Amino acid sequence: MTARQHPLADRVALVTGATQGIGRAIAERLARDGASVAVNGLVHDERMDSVVTATSGVPAPADASDRVAVQQMVRGVEETLGTVDVLVVNHAYMSMGRLVDYDLDDWWKVVDTNLGGAFHLVQAVLPGMLRAGSGRIVLVSSEWGVTGWPEATAYAASKAGIISLTKTLGRELAPKGVIVNAVAPGVIDTPQLEVDARAAGVTREQVIKEYARDIPMRRVGRPDEIAAAVALLSDPRMSALVGQVVQVNGGSTRTRA
Amino acid sequence: MSGVAIVTGAASGIGAAIAAELSDRGWQVAGIDLRPSDWDLGLTADVADAASVADAVRVVERDLGPVQAVVSAAGHYAIIEVTDITPEQWHTMLRVHLGGLANLCRAVLPAMSARGSGSIVAITSELAIGGGDSDAHYAAAKGAVIGLVRSLAAEVAGSGVRVNGVAPGPTDTPLIGPDSPWRDPAYLATLPLRRLVAPEEVALAVAYVIEEATFMTGEILSPNAGAVI
Repeated sequence: MTARQHPLADRVALVTGATQGIGRAIAERLARDGASVAVNGLVHDERMDSVVTATSGVPAPADASDRVAVQQMVRGVEETLGTVDVLVVNHAYMSMGRLVDYDLDDWWKVVDTNLGGAFHLVQAVLPGMLRAGSGRIVLVSSEWGVTGWPEATAYAASKAGIISLTKTLGRELAPKGVIVNAVAPGVIDTPQLEVDARAAGVTREQVIKEYARDIPMRRVGRPDEIAAAVALLSDPRMSALVGQVVQVNGGSTRTRA
Repeated sequence: MSGVAIVTGAASGIGAAIAAELSDRGWQVAGIDLRPSDWDLGLTADVADAASVADAVRVVERDLGPVQAVVSAAGHYAIIEVTDITPEQWHTMLRVHLGGLANLCRAVLPAMSARGSGSIVAITSELAIGGGDSDAHYAAAKGAVIGLVRSLAAEVAGSGVRVNGVAPGPTDTPLIGPDSPWRDPAYLATLPLRRLVAPEEVALAVAYVIEEATFMTGEILSPNAGAVI
């Protein structure tokens, strides 16, 4: 009964980009499943405190693209809560633009934050997981990492890179007890949609309606629907999913990854 | 979440593990199998026979109520080189795996679509994705199952019914005999997880798809111990 209700009891989970949207939903779900949650975001602000309160977790601010900051943050979490049992790499930076016009520094900022950040985080938590002989790593990719998208070259590359990183680490680390998988969300109702709406000069409701038209299920997803997939991949009872990409997108890609 | 679920192949192996998991979670489970099974309802029928499946589904609806979830797990496996596969063996493999799923879907979809909700889960196989060796009829049948899942998912998505698959790797069930090559330590050493999949892990994946994957359709989950990545 306890395993069913609280599969993550006595486990420590670190969720990056957890101060809003999908990350917040993941942090809250893993907390509900029994985990002690380290709530990461770029800075320690009121939003972070609100998630920390909601999850009874601890704040763990750090810029994921800053290798030294990531290492210090993980060390801090290990000192406060113990070895990280579950790492969820969810943070992301996004910008868009035509490839020929794209500001080169900004292009690399997307890749180095999303894909590079994943690399720094995995390296920072791995020594503890390998000592324990067990661990779960869930990397949040994107539907666009599977399909590509016009004017999203950096983002799609970073998210496709996360898929290949997941597959490789799945193979490399499963023999050592560390299970690595990815979740690739489709269009989810998060603050990012406000950004999309502003960029298109329409309302949030209009942009949701437009996205929903192109999704077989005729709606956009909710953050808790991504969190549920992350919970499955974090569940210590489930080891047989290895190096997989779970696509949660209302039927847009249907098994393409 | 709970309600009435139908599991084919519920008398043993993966089907039985799925039935047990759903039952533990509060579902009313009806098993359909060639053999009797010990769930809330244990019906005997050959899933390859459309009329028998339709009859069984009607009995479930009458005795337990509207069906919210179905899992097509009935199946069999055989190692035969392609030149030795008889037309009968080919026919049976397709009728049981692909036909079993199609028959089940045709029987439950009208009511699910009318209610605007429902979840269909097909058990397929790692061999349908990565291909196998000396099991071409099985791989073909399970690959066809994936094609059906992807197409039907798109076809019924607007009506609120989700269609997904779970593709296990070699799983520790009676389907794999004690001398099976899948139990060979040399083979197991090639799996990233270094062991067979447990039926309970497949059941957890199925339960997730039914209960929590509310924004997922046309997708295949692969609890396969890393056999195909």
